[in-house]
Amino acid sequence: MSAILSADDLNDFISPGVACIKPVETLPKNESSNSQNPYEVTTEDKVQPENLPPAQISLTDCLACSGCVTSAEAVLISLQSHAEVLNTLDAYPELPLTQNHNGPYTGSSDALDGESRIFVASVSPQVRASLAATYGISEKEATYMIDQFLSGPHGLRAGGKHGSGFSWVVDTNVMRDAILVLTADEVSETLKEPSARAISKDTLPKRPVLSSACPGWICYAEKTHPFVLPHLSRLKSPQALTGTFLKTVLSKALGVPPSRVWHLAIMPCFDKKLEASREELTDVSWSPLDGGVPLTESNKPVRDVDCVITTRELLTLASSRGISLPTLPLKSLAPSYTPHFPDETLNAFLFRKQNGSEQSMEAGTSGGYLHHVLKTFQAKNPGSEIVTQRGRNADVVEYSLMSPGGEPLMKAARYYGFRNIQNLVRKLKPARVSRLPGARVPAASAGGNRRQPISRNSASAGSGTDFAYVEVMACPGGCTNGGGQIRIEDAREASTSTQSVTAVENPSKPTPHEQRAWLARVDEAYFSAESDAEGEMDGQAQPLTIPEREARVHEAFEYWSNLMNIPLSKLVYTTYREVESDVGKPKDAPIDTTRVVELAGKIGGGW
Amino acid sequence: MTENPTASLTLLSDLTPPSLERTWLTAPHPSLPIVATCSSDKTVRVYSLTNFRLLSTISGGHKRSVRTCAWKPHVQGESVLATGSFDATVGIWRRWDSYGRAEDGTDVRGLSSETLDGNGRDTQEYEDDEEWRFAVLLDGHDSEVKSVSWSPSGMLLATCSRDKSIWIWEDLDDGDNNFETVAVMQEHEGDVKCVAWHPVEECLASASYDNTIRLWREDIDDWGQVACIKGHTGTVWYLDWEGIGNVPSTAAVCEQGTSLSAEWKDQRAMSGPRLASCSDDRTVRIWKRRPKEQRAQSQVGSTGIPSIIRPTGTDETWEEDVLLPQIHELSIYAVAWSKRTGLLASVGADGRIVVYEELFLTSPARTPDTNTPTDTSAIIPRTHTEWVAIAILEGAHGIYEVNHVAWARRADRCRKENEEVLITTADDGSIKVWTLRR
Repeated sequence: MSAILSADDLNDFISPGVACIKPVETLPKNESSNSQNPYEVTTEDKVQPENLPPAQISLTDCLACSGCVTSAEAVLISLQSHAEVLNTLDAYPELPLTQNHNGPYTGSSDALDGESRIFVASVSPQVRASLAATYGISEKEATYMIDQFLSGPHGLRAGGKHGSGFSWVVDTNVMRDAILVLTADEVSETLKEPSARAISKDTLPKRPVLSSACPGWICYAEKTHPFVLPHLSRLKSPQALTGTFLKTVLSKALGVPPSRVWHLAIMPCFDKKLEASREELTDVSWSPLDGGVPLTESNKPVRDVDCVITTRELLTLASSRGISLPTLPLKSLAPSYTPHFPDETLNAFLFRKQNGSEQSMEAGTSGGYLHHVLKTFQAKNPGSEIVTQRGRNADVVEYSLMSPGGEPLMKAARYYGFRNIQNLVRKLKPARVSRLPGARVPAASAGGNRRQPISRNSASAGSGTDFAYVEVMACPGGCTNGGGQIRIEDAREASTSTQSVTAVENPSKPTPHEQRAWLARVDEAYFSAESDAEGEMDGQAQPLTIPEREARVHEAFEYWSNLMNIPLSKLVYTTYREVESDVGKPKDAPIDTTRVVELAGKIGGGW
Repeated sequence: MTENPTASLTLLSDLTPPSLERTWLTAPHPSLPIVATCSSDKTVRVYSLTNFRLLSTISGGHKRSVRTCAWKPHVQGESVLATGSFDATVGIWRRWDSYGRAEDGTDVRGLSSETLDGNGRDTQEYEDDEEWRFAVLLDGHDSEVKSVSWSPSGMLLATCSRDKSIWIWEDLDDGDNNFETVAVMQEHEGDVKCVAWHPVEECLASASYDNTIRLWREDIDDWGQVACIKGHTGTVWYLDWEGIGNVPSTAAVCEQGTSLSAEWKDQRAMSGPRLASCSDDRTVRIWKRRPKEQRAQSQVGSTGIPSIIRPTGTDETWEEDVLLPQIHELSIYAVAWSKRTGLLASVGADGRIVVYEELFLTSPARTPDTNTPTDTSAIIPRTHTEWVAIAILEGAHGIYEVNHVAWARRADRCRKENEEVLITTADDGSIKVWTLRR
């Protein structure tokens, strides 16, 4: 969960029971060419050439371990951070692209010397909202700010060893919009009678379909509630799909391996780093080569997203290069800095000005998955009405689509925040006999002995399973309130540092009220994005209707699939797996341990 | 001031048979003369306080040591027990109140069982066991559950764990044993050892390995921390709230007693009940909320405290009221503040039981006329009290550490009106019942 996986909490007490033992097992094998025992004491000059890889935990290792969230945090910060971005930009020059009427291509043979990279970035709309609220600018200006910083002459390109910058900066809203359409498709498939389904039943998620875009939620579900995994939407998150899209299309169109495309995602959320390191989200899952041989030279899976930084880390990235974000020109980049995407059709899809993206108040702060599903079904049922009912708190909302005659056609819900997720998963928990039933329960009260039948099969439990779709996000308030967003304290600092730094701000901790007010400002910036865009369109495009959006997405994706010669399902779907670990699980103490020995062993009352 | 104990603790009885493994905590039932004792052997034993015998054993619900338990208050005709285990789960158990005590309050079981032969007892005990219904298992914690506590209304259950989190559950009381997670608080930086609800308000106190005590209240939509009390220099093991309307002993100051009591009550009305804590640092401390300016109510009248700092929002300022006489030589694991007598007891790793009494101080004598509205601006009209250790018992459970202490109403046949007993729970698996002789 984001609350747990926050970088602000690195000094956590790791209890002995959950100490991380994983790295011991996953140390890289020593090069066989050198048979020296790496642990043997040797002289320094002997050690040097051997170049043993440092013993580190990789983030992927940590995903396999349910115990040590805190260790994962430390590693997560070191592997995907603003420093990693700087190091990568300094380590590799930009791959020179030559522009012609067909778009860019790799101009020279030295492009393939293996040392250069194509740098691409994707940015989530919540990041722009956070920047907009921080600097008091519009969401559109925040877009310009990020573009100028990542690609512009006064941004990252102004410094660094090679003056490298990002060739393309993509809005994850494009893929999010596509996922909305595909989500509605997926949900309507699950609502069909099995005989009428287009695909065989076993590949479809179980009802209710649960959104899968939130990495904190996915991580938590895989570790602690594997029974919900069959419910998860198979669709990749916007970050992951953007990664697949960029890596596939760029490597194909420019004739470079995907490992030469370096993709940075800027996200409101730390858990997106965990998502980026999932082995399901690498070229292995979509590589067209049979036999599982990846396209890359090193045979190492290439991630669809190489590095994720949060909104806060974007500020750190800027300041470590000595760049002041608010002094960057808040206008769109000159065409020389915005090359065409190397495929005209996909360029139009990716950089179309008006995407009809759903960033309205009613769509919510987290991408509008639920809203789109409801709207799609409403459009299919003329005259129907969406009825909203607030749940226990503001982060639980239940929706019913009512027919004109008042019949419920479909139910759906939104569950944000860890505490509310608890209540959702409890409703979905399969009924089963308690693992250790109460002793000697007579038949008369057998029902009472089971823990599930009493609490799961009741009416209220049923309401959990008759949802068609549930939008689940780990953060209270949704993605605008992500753990990586700029906090009110940072925002105060950022705004004062632009003026003369004189009066030290009141260092007092912001009150809950101030924090709520701050979050409301970020939300406001997020929701204003749509109206901004409409205002500048000069009536060019009405927001697309749902069928128009569906057609557009289906068309573009079919084109993409054909271009790559990869089935669409391999590109857009992903899988989940139960993450099990013995780490942290108690080993049963020998029962024959005598009482005296056990009691004597308790020193200092460690309980 | 503490070297002259004026009272003594006498062993009344053991609760038998004891557990063969370490026992952690004994929870007296809110209305019946029974107690529940949690044990490392994964069970909870329910004993009668009328005859000190085992009534039933709750087993089979937990995979590891049962660390804690608490009776739900205000349940009619039924007893509801929440258990917290090192297996990271919380169990809810129910049983109809058909034993131990009849509806009219007379002893049924306690008297009759003494006349039964071994066979009869066993049969009855077997039936009793059958009546505990394992209603629901609450899972969510990642690690060992250390403490559970029901809110004064019984609507909310707080649980805390080694995973550093505190969960608040609502008992939906819908007949289907449904509980919902209301809040998960993760501000503590270490193992949370204890949770305790304010005696009347929906305010939760928690104690932790991070040496802090934190207070939590609901604010608009979610629960949040309203205070973080720092002061202990070691793990804070246990908390107990002062009873509502508690007044220190006036025995030492007979003539002034009435006015002092009245003055005391006025001050209490503003700051609310105090909170006692005990720690690895071998101290017992009492904490008091600083009254808020805006909280000042009409009844405050004569004793309006000149409040200087107005904390923002819902924050509360808690300050140390007093450090109790330091008698313990090792970690103090539990404190119990009697809601009936105001006496406070502490136990710990050194095997001692210490009982403390709060007395009004005679020396800064205050005549009744100072208790008028006119002079309150000049002097902070604070009544002074002193805590004295009135009883110290060494080696209550031999060489074993004492894990828990609780006050309960005495229920055996030799009881006096409203007499209380102390119940201690220890590493040797035994549970001992003590009387205090003044």
